[in-house]
Amino acid sequence: METDLSVDAEALAAENARLRERVDELERERAELVARTSRLVADAEERTYWLERWQLDLNALMRRPGAAQFRALLRAARWPMRQAKLLARRIRGGA
Amino acid sequence: MSSTSVVIPVKDGAVWLAEVLRAVAREAPDELLVIDSGSRDDSPAIARAAGAELLEIPPAQFGHGRTRNLGTARTSGEIVCFLTQDATPEPGWLAAYREAFALDERVGAAFGPHLPRPGTSPMIARELTEFFAGFSPDGAPAIQRSAGEGGWHPGFLSNANAAYRRTVLERIGFRDVPYAEDQAFAQDLFAAGGWKAYHPGAAVLHAHDFPWAQFMRRYFDEYRGLRDTTGHIEPIGVRSTLGAVRTEVARDRAYLHEQGAGGPERLAWTARSAAHHGGRRVFSALGSRADRLPEPARRALSLEGRGDGAGTPVPAAPALTHVSPRRPRELFAEILDAETHGIVPLEDPVPGAADRTPLHVAIVIPPFRRGSGGHDTIFRVFREIERLGHTVTVWLDDPENHQPQRAAVIRDEIREWFAPLEAPVFKGFGDWFGADVALATGWQTVHPVLQLGATRARAYFVQDHEPEFYATAAEHRWAAQTYGYGLHAICASPWLADIVRERYGGSASVFQLGADETVYHPLDVPRRRDTIVFYGRAVTARRAVPLGLLALAELKRRRPETRVVIYGDPIPNDTSFPYEHAGVASQEQLAHLYSEATVGLCLSMTNYSRVPNEMLACGLPCVDLEGYSAESVYGADGPVELSAFSPSALADHMERLMDDEALWERRSREGIAFVARHTWRAAAEEVEAGLREALRLRERAAAASR
Repeated sequence: METDLSVDAEALAAENARLRERVDELERERAELVARTSRLVADAEERTYWLERWQLDLNALMRRPGAAQFRALLRAARWPMRQAKLLARRIRGGA
Repeated sequence: MSSTSVVIPVKDGAVWLAEVLRAVAREAPDELLVIDSGSRDDSPAIARAAGAELLEIPPAQFGHGRTRNLGTARTSGEIVCFLTQDATPEPGWLAAYREAFALDERVGAAFGPHLPRPGTSPMIARELTEFFAGFSPDGAPAIQRSAGEGGWHPGFLSNANAAYRRTVLERIGFRDVPYAEDQAFAQDLFAAGGWKAYHPGAAVLHAHDFPWAQFMRRYFDEYRGLRDTTGHIEPIGVRSTLGAVRTEVARDRAYLHEQGAGGPERLAWTARSAAHHGGRRVFSALGSRADRLPEPARRALSLEGRGDGAGTPVPAAPALTHVSPRRPRELFAEILDAETHGIVPLEDPVPGAADRTPLHVAIVIPPFRRGSGGHDTIFRVFREIERLGHTVTVWLDDPENHQPQRAAVIRDEIREWFAPLEAPVFKGFGDWFGADVALATGWQTVHPVLQLGATRARAYFVQDHEPEFYATAAEHRWAAQTYGYGLHAICASPWLADIVRERYGGSASVFQLGADETVYHPLDVPRRRDTIVFYGRAVTARRAVPLGLLALAELKRRRPETRVVIYGDPIPNDTSFPYEHAGVASQEQLAHLYSEATVGLCLSMTNYSRVPNEMLACGLPCVDLEGYSAESVYGADGPVELSAFSPSALADHMERLMDDEALWERRSREGIAFVARHTWRAAAEEVEAGLREALRLRERAAAASR
């Protein structure tokens, strides 16, 4: 049985081209992922500079005894502080 | 439970060997090794029949220390026990040794008592019983912590029945001495900070009861060995000997009485006791003084027939100080890693990767300090690489922890001291996630880069020929070897690239250094006609500062009115001429200096530095050396005056620039134009081409190997 080799060659070339496009697409995705990851890490390093400078582990600090009570105290103090700010703003605005 | 090996050196030991080996088997050690040194009786057959591993060595090879070291090397137990061929372990012997070493990890050696065999003469039986009872009056295991500890026989340790911690034995080892290798070991153990233990449960039946003459010859050899290894000289005197003999005989008689011996038996032993103890005193003293005896006499008195000059004292070993590990890994351990584990293979290349943007370039840097010129170049170039659209990550290779700060702080330092790099910083490679190109930036970073996986290509940012930074040293060889690992070298001058290709057979591309045009440009300050500015950082040998100072001295001799300004080192150079010292100046201050001076002098015997570019950028013609890298960068008749390696020639070139206005103008103009073409951006584009070339080379290599 004769085989139409030209059709096979065309199909192979098309498949080749499709695979190359797919590789290019994956490469772009990979490069974008690496770039995004690097940016994330760089941003995190930027934000945590002072914590790192002082070698402060906030998570460990918040696990220590009294941390939960301290956070509750901060939350409790939030309402009067907010009221004081509003009052100050009103006074300044009034002045 | 610690594993145990038992080693027994044997020669013609058939009398007791079978009994000894049965007793050892009962104790169930992990290994049993018999080392036979030329027995003519059935000792080898007895050892085989008992299932021991048998090692036969020529008699001439035997040495008390040497052969026991061999036994140690041929076994693997954590505790190594030694017996002689006539020392039969009592039940519980091995368990007692395990207990002894469990007392404290500093116990390096242990021994147990020798019990007299039935029928042993009372002199020997009493001596053994009293001697070993003294180590543990309460019958419990005891530890001796130093050679001088009170209540202990200073150096007693007998390989007739002793055990050792393998790690200590391998570190210290028995001295290769004819006798008393065990006592010498005890000395060495204490000197190294180790301890010795006694366990009454680690007992053996062992008593040498020989004919009188044999006993005396043994004492002669024993005390000769003691003199050689410990320096002990047995005292002797008529009155003291008679007194000692009388005392010992009385004690023997008392011992016999305690053992239930009747009067006639005690009487019968009295004369033998006197002969034994008297003879022992005499022959021990003779052994201590064997070096004074004629050689035939030594041979006749020695049980082993040794007439050699081994009576000459062997010098003691130096006092050893034990040093505990002070670092988790050896310096340059990555070099050993590369040898042991090999180079981590690169990933299979992806076609077209070399031409894609962005690439992920992971730069591996050594530790840095503020002002590091090499790091400044790296970060300036890679800030531009980021601007070309690529992703850069920074990996600090700092095994010695010179920079203990955390990564975020290090990133901030890079951005503040060098260039506003966007890249994240990682300390070490614990978070390594791969790269298109992993880039080594100094010879010490090459070996770590070779161990990084998930990498498509490796490259080498070469700013100088680093082997030349070292004299004949391991670092010189290791630095040179880094050019041969197949990393594509991106070199900071054609001169460097030629070296990599021609000397090391590597592949190389070139980039050229830039200058910060925002800082270095001609400032609006009056240009002087009498001033030489010299980069005089003497601590950097390749800057040829002594040559520069000689040239300046010659110039000052010719033109005393010449003003010389030297900078680069906080400490002024000692010179024979007056000059002005600028110390370590800021870039802005240097730009001012370059803008007002007449001629710059900056010498480099390896790769050129950034200083000539910075001088040229300020319109300052400068003088450097021919035959090195500056010629490959600036050309033979380019913006930089190139001089022979001679103080007179250097002075000639400086003088010419000071006198020839047309020449000065040309050099100044060419210098400004040169630097305008060689920006950091241009350098980054050249480096980018080198990174892509590294990926292409990898593709070609992979295709060629298919």
